[in-house]
Amino acid sequence: MKRVDAFPYLLLIPALLLVGTIAAWPLVETFRLSFTDASMKQTQSYVGFENYAKFFQRDFWPILGRTLVWTSLSVSLKLVMGLLGAVLLNAAVPGRALFRILIMPPWVVPVAVGCFMWAWMYNGQFGMISGLGQRFELFSGPFEFLAYKQAAFIATVVTDVWIGTPLVSLYLLAAMQTIPKDLYEAAWTDGAGRFYRFRRVTLPLLMPSITTMALLSTIWTFNSFEIIWILTEGGPRGSTTTMIIDTYRTAISRFRYGEGAARAVMILICLMVLSAIYLALLNRLTRKGRTK
Amino acid sequence: MKIRSFILASTAVFALSSAAQAATELYLINCGADNEPQAPVQQTHIDEWVKANPDYTVRVEFLPWEQCQEKTLTLAAAGTPPAAAYMGSRVLKQLSAAGQIVPIGLTDDELKTYEPSVISTVQFDGQVWGLPRAFSTKALYWNKDLFKEAGLDMPNGPQTFEEMLTAAKAIKEKTKAAGFGMPAADMDNTFHEFLNFLYSNGGQVVDGDGKVAFDSPNNVETLKFYQELAKYSQEGPVAYDRGKLEPLFKEGQIAMYTSGAWGRGKAEGVNFGVAQIPAGPSGKHSTLLITDSLVVFKGTGQEEATQNLIKFLTAPERQSAFDEAGGWTPIRAGAGADALIAKDPNWKPFIDAVPTGGPEPLMQDYIGMQDAAIEGIQAVISDEVTPEEGAKQINDGLAGLS
Repeated sequence: MKRVDAFPYLLLIPALLLVGTIAAWPLVETFRLSFTDASMKQTQSYVGFENYAKFFQRDFWPILGRTLVWTSLSVSLKLVMGLLGAVLLNAAVPGRALFRILIMPPWVVPVAVGCFMWAWMYNGQFGMISGLGQRFELFSGPFEFLAYKQAAFIATVVTDVWIGTPLVSLYLLAAMQTIPKDLYEAAWTDGAGRFYRFRRVTLPLLMPSITTMALLSTIWTFNSFEIIWILTEGGPRGSTTTMIIDTYRTAISRFRYGEGAARAVMILICLMVLSAIYLALLNRLTRKGRTK
Repeated sequence: MKIRSFILASTAVFALSSAAQAATELYLINCGADNEPQAPVQQTHIDEWVKANPDYTVRVEFLPWEQCQEKTLTLAAAGTPPAAAYMGSRVLKQLSAAGQIVPIGLTDDELKTYEPSVISTVQFDGQVWGLPRAFSTKALYWNKDLFKEAGLDMPNGPQTFEEMLTAAKAIKEKTKAAGFGMPAADMDNTFHEFLNFLYSNGGQVVDGDGKVAFDSPNNVETLKFYQELAKYSQEGPVAYDRGKLEPLFKEGQIAMYTSGAWGRGKAEGVNFGVAQIPAGPSGKHSTLLITDSLVVFKGTGQEEATQNLIKFLTAPERQSAFDEAGGWTPIRAGAGADALIAKDPNWKPFIDAVPTGGPEPLMQDYIGMQDAAIEGIQAVISDEVTPEEGAKQINDGLAGLS
């Protein structure tokens, strides 16, 4: 009979304990709480699916819809601008290294600082944007960007794009630099122009990286909290209340831990669905790439 | 011999240090900053109490307001509460319903030292649940120069809703400033500032039987007034909380706004007056009374000593010194209040309004209450709903809460 060597399994224990403590236990606890009426009271009772039912009956669909629009708008803009930035940073121009450094500040500056700066710029009375708008007669008077539903929604997206784009640019730039030069040379020899080379060489070979960044960016953006909280706290009239803001308000501001946990679980499920879609897409693209 | 001496000395040191360690620590969470002017006054009083109660030590932790209530309530919910906390009285009902705090036993004489309207901010179910520590009332700040520029003759500022609307309209039309600074952001002071006008029009959020009564005629009338006032207010009130209005008033961009007594120090260089909140057609001058209070948490085993400590800190003579240092409206009427008015007549509207003022409505889900009210107020001033619809919307929102 073959003897099982226990030593490798013993070596796994510290890692398993670590993962169990920092990832699995909070997750399990969140699931458990979501089926209780946990609040500030020291006792809690099992309430079945009541927290989920309440969420679905009241707010789920409008908040999910708003979150998806906010996320897709922000991620799309970050990807387009990030790709554009990567192409420009990859161009052989003098001072390229300096440009690569200059793109970093929005990402390096603490999010809160960036948000306060944008909040100031969005201010109607003292803000730069409203001031310029009035100078060029786009606005008849001061305009408060964070006071109106649509303007506030767009303002939070713009700030998120400003903060998130540098990372996308740098990631895509790194991926771009792994594309073999000889492919460009061959295309150039065949008479391909700059745009054609980008469309037929750069873009297809970047696609797995773009998809990966899209997946990661979607998860980060879907869970983006500080930007909205600092700028609008989810207002005006709920127009920037995404799922994460709603969860925070429910669980932390209103001390409804059970209901908040149910909402957090719904975020997890939504992200798992989105991730599955992206991964399926990524696999398909990878397979397509191999068969070509 | 030497060894014996060493052992004896060691034992003595150990015994003494053990005795010192035996003093029980009372952990007090204080919302706010430790560099505020009232903090050293409080520390002096705590030191006095500790001197008289050598079995105890007191550890005070200051936390910013944004995190303070959440941290305290989370500690309490986790079963490790502080002995006491200084926090907004609006949370008392929630804490009491969750069984986290103990009622404060006050004698009739102790109770009588407070104005009934002030003690009502911490009193429900026949018990007092905290001791008022910091107190604020609100009044209307008005810019005398802008009133003059608009040709308004109101030597004491607007006294009624009608006068206020007249003034706001004239200023908006005849000067470069907005008539009124209206806070309407997703912040608690949006609801608070609205309550000043609601109470001044005889309105109420919850009736005498504890039932939500937001769709009353008085409240609809106040919402109509607010909707009209919004037309002469600064652009985009929904982007402004009260704090953001202070620089606008200082810069002469708004002619009026409501604030607490601390606003006097924020308007340096402005030729301003302070008036009581204008009376509505169905009411008389009133104000929202807000207190922050010291509460005693259950489950530390030191509830009695903690009550003793907070009673000591809030005793009339010590509380008065604390109020004066912090620039708060005096919690108790009397010589202290009169002295303030003599020193600065602008204190008068803040103090005169105390007897007729109303408390923050005490509901368990106070955040839910604020959210429902703010959403309705925003909808009305944005002309998305009529005042009647807004009042009903708020009423329905509040009725669904505990």
